[in-house]
Amino acid sequence: MVSDYSISKKLTWMNMLVSGAALLLACGAFIAYDVASLREGMIYNLSMQAQIVGFNSSSALLFNDPHSAENTLSALKAWPNIVSAGIFTPDGRPFASYLRGRDGRVLTLPPILQGKTEIYRFNRSEAVLVRRIVFQERETGFVYIQSDLEGLKVRVAQYLGVAAAVLATSLLAVLLISPVFRRAIAEPIVHLAGIARIVSRDRDYSVRATPTSDHDELSVLVDDFNDMLSQIQLRDAALQQAHGELEQRVAERTRELSASNKELEAFAYSVSHDLRAPLRSIDGFSQALLEDYADKLDANAQDHLQRVRRAAQRMSALIDDMLSLSRVTRCELRREKLDLSAMAKSIASDLQEAEPGRCVDFVIESGLTAVGDPQLLRSAMENLLRNSWKYTSGHPTARIEFCRSEENGLRPFIVSDDGAGFDARYADRLFGAFQRLHTATEFPGTGVGLATVQRIIHRHGGEIWAEGEVEKGATFYFTL
Amino acid sequence: MRIKKRGAAKRILGRAALDLARKWRQRVLLRWAVSIAFVTIVEPCISAQKGKPQEYEVKATYLYNFARFVEWPATAATVKSDAFTICVLGQDPFGAILDAVVAGETIDGKVVLAKRVLKLQDAVSCRVLYVSSSEESRLKEVLAALDKVCVLTVSDIPQFSQRGGMIQFVQESNRIRFEVNLASAEDAGLSLSSELLKVAITVRRNSQPGD
Repeated sequence: MVSDYSISKKLTWMNMLVSGAALLLACGAFIAYDVASLREGMIYNLSMQAQIVGFNSSSALLFNDPHSAENTLSALKAWPNIVSAGIFTPDGRPFASYLRGRDGRVLTLPPILQGKTEIYRFNRSEAVLVRRIVFQERETGFVYIQSDLEGLKVRVAQYLGVAAAVLATSLLAVLLISPVFRRAIAEPIVHLAGIARIVSRDRDYSVRATPTSDHDELSVLVDDFNDMLSQIQLRDAALQQAHGELEQRVAERTRELSASNKELEAFAYSVSHDLRAPLRSIDGFSQALLEDYADKLDANAQDHLQRVRRAAQRMSALIDDMLSLSRVTRCELRREKLDLSAMAKSIASDLQEAEPGRCVDFVIESGLTAVGDPQLLRSAMENLLRNSWKYTSGHPTARIEFCRSEENGLRPFIVSDDGAGFDARYADRLFGAFQRLHTATEFPGTGVGLATVQRIIHRHGGEIWAEGEVEKGATFYFTL
Repeated sequence: MRIKKRGAAKRILGRAALDLARKWRQRVLLRWAVSIAFVTIVEPCISAQKGKPQEYEVKATYLYNFARFVEWPATAATVKSDAFTICVLGQDPFGAILDAVVAGETIDGKVVLAKRVLKLQDAVSCRVLYVSSSEESRLKEVLAALDKVCVLTVSDIPQFSQRGGMIQFVQESNRIRFEVNLASAEDAGLSLSSELLKVAITVRRNSQPGD
């Protein structure tokens, strides 16, 4: 509502200022012009009176009859603005005088005329005109007439009054007319502003400004504003449609993806599960052959059967790993606070118990904790430590360390050893499933362990990477 | 008293804030008073001191000035003359004064000349004729000779205007004034300006035969 007031007020003020200034200028010019012409007229009148008086007193001057001259001067009574008048002889002596009232005074000497017939001067309250009296081309004396400016002042006062009245009337008229301007200019703008506010506040692009009946820039503005709203509305609708479509497509894809993923997992599970039965038969019957027909089989055949059994057992181990890998991705994640140091110590003691002959030094930093799934993290820790345990087996003594780096912002956990290590060029192949950098004869394994570790770490939202050098050990970093 | 007033004014000025307007008014009043005093007291004294020559100087000027307020009929013989003559009939009281007054002057583009005439027939050719007091005895004869002739007659002779003369000088308390017999002038075909009549003491309008 403030804007409503301000814009119409502005218009009203503008109109009043413009018309007021124009009127003031016009009145000022008229008054100035009129004062100038009034003064001119006054001087003209004084000059005429001086001429008449001068003409009518020339005989009085020539025949030295001041009384007659005074009679002539007394005719000036008819002009109430004439304060005094006087006639002087050519040599400047006073000859006759006229005074309007007792307060009047006779000028002592007329100002000297320098080759002019008449001169006049104005001051604040009076005008004085001095004229040479010439009779038959001969100077016979001087006449002066002194007039007050009451007439002029009254006229100026009247003009000022009229000007003030005109000004007041005009400003009143402007005030009365300004609602018309408001209707024509301010109201459409105010309306437009209101619509714009609704649009920006409510994000409602369906509103429209009411078009004006005129055909001016304002109506163009209103039409264009409405056009813009329509365009925004169209684009908004298109955007929302696209958004909806996209979401629908994503949902579809997600559905498809999870379906195929489940299918794949189910397939992998069933494959590994179903593969076990024939494997067990192969292994079992091979064992039966070895036990029941040991006397009939020569050493070569027995060796072949032993190989069959090993291969079957190896395959069984592979299937177990695959199952555990798929379990990592399928099972629900629980989150609780875990003491990783304690976990590492228990794993280390398990390993040492299993192979008491090895001389391995475990250095485990105490008090390292993390939040995660206890089963999965134990599996990850076990894989990493078992990995180190395995690859240090070629060395008579070894050192396996678990600690936490304080170096950078990530503060990764570290599992390091001084075992076989690996070629840094193949570091990216370490975490691939069934990818191995060493042959099975060198170090036994299926190549699934580190892949499982990576999956567990990734499921916890962490990262894992490794550094290493051949025969100088390997270091695994992971964050959670 | 005026001086006392000024003294009082001075005291006021000296004592309190000066009243410029009053001071100025008083100064003007003083100047005015001095001027009036000059006109009413000092000037007549100067005139009185100079006596007779002053009187005839004025009269000589008047003779010339009368001519400027009179119109002669276009048919008059004197109008056709190249010169504008002002004549003195009889014993001349002006001397060189009249010649000095008219020297270099013109009326209607004609050079003004001063002439002394003794014979009446010479007076006919004049525009203005001053009849000297010496002619008082034969005034009737003079006026009769000039009857219906376009000559403006002027004289100091007492009752000149009553007796048929046109303009008669009259001494009136240190001032020289004149009487006009308008009828005589009109009989002669001269027209006298109303401006002239305005400053005359008396104007005789009805035709009266000289007594």
